[in-house]
Amino acid sequence: MYLDMHSHSVSSDDSRATVEQYVKWIQVLRKRGHQVDGIVLTEHRKFDFDKDYSALADQYNVLIIKGSELDTRYGHFLVYGVSQGLTRAIDFADTRMDARALMQAARQHDAIALPAHPGRFGIGLTDYIAQGETFEDVEIVERFNGGSRQGENERADELCESHNLLGIGGSDAHLTSHIGTCMTNFKAGIKNANDLVDALLSKEFQPVWLEDTLDGSSQA
Amino acid sequence: MPYYDEIELGDEIGPVEKVATDDDVVNFCDIWGAPKPNRFTDADTAAKSGMKGTIVPGIMTMAMMAQLLTDWGGPGSLKDLDLVFRQPVPHNRPLTMAATITDLREEDGQNLVECDILMTGTEGERYIGGKAIVALEGR
Repeated sequence: MYLDMHSHSVSSDDSRATVEQYVKWIQVLRKRGHQVDGIVLTEHRKFDFDKDYSALADQYNVLIIKGSELDTRYGHFLVYGVSQGLTRAIDFADTRMDARALMQAARQHDAIALPAHPGRFGIGLTDYIAQGETFEDVEIVERFNGGSRQGENERADELCESHNLLGIGGSDAHLTSHIGTCMTNFKAGIKNANDLVDALLSKEFQPVWLEDTLDGSSQA
Repeated sequence: MPYYDEIELGDEIGPVEKVATDDDVVNFCDIWGAPKPNRFTDADTAAKSGMKGTIVPGIMTMAMMAQLLTDWGGPGSLKDLDLVFRQPVPHNRPLTMAATITDLREEDGQNLVECDILMTGTEGERYIGGKAIVALEGR
């Protein structure tokens, strides 16, 4: 199944798209022959415990999972499987947290944290690795990012190849029409955030571009 | 001008490419009455603000994006423009502006077209993004 692993709704300060606009736009993509099964809302520096999108998910037949995108001193990290325990262990608003501590805390709380857009110039993980930092717990990175400028996804490709890392894809949408531009094709069926963490741990997934999903052709 | 009835979700407006030259920015700042020196026309002031060079004023880029929509929908058609300024916009570089229609609705007797709008650079830099609402006549 195809999930967009990285998106921002108006709950993030720099997005102008509502969740309803995203799921409506997915109907447009489906009419064009694309397969989009779900999205993960990765709001900046927070987790929206109080938001319930289940009615929208049912109405539009789109899986909606909540996650987070956190700022760290080593770039942005996507977090899946967020729980009350994790938010007590980690200050999600701390923009200078150590990403290594975040990754370890996430696993202790049955979640997973991984680098977003690692090829991004200036703030991507590749730059910190080039400076001599090491990240032994990183096994998966966001290899395809829909908001990347020229050269950034290529740097993520090189990182995956050189460090034998797995990759996911996410649109990084902040606008309605950008949802689904990159996704991740999972072999497993996923119904909630816990399933998503298990699917990531299974390592049976690959990043895809929207064009790869035409006519609903699934490679998994 | 397009009629509301002719528009479909996913239709594109543009792309239109423009360059904000040094002279364009100086002229804009003169008309605007920007205090001098400023980071838009003075390299030293821009450097003191942490910029790599002089930048295009946000209000000027907003006007450029508004023009994309009013050239398409006609004078007075633009009802709302809500932008996020993500990166400084440089002078003398091609800037591409484009919009994608994401919603169509009738509201208070008006035919409203909602769109995403984006200003990008030649290497895919997303300088400015946001959404806009344009009102169109029906047939």
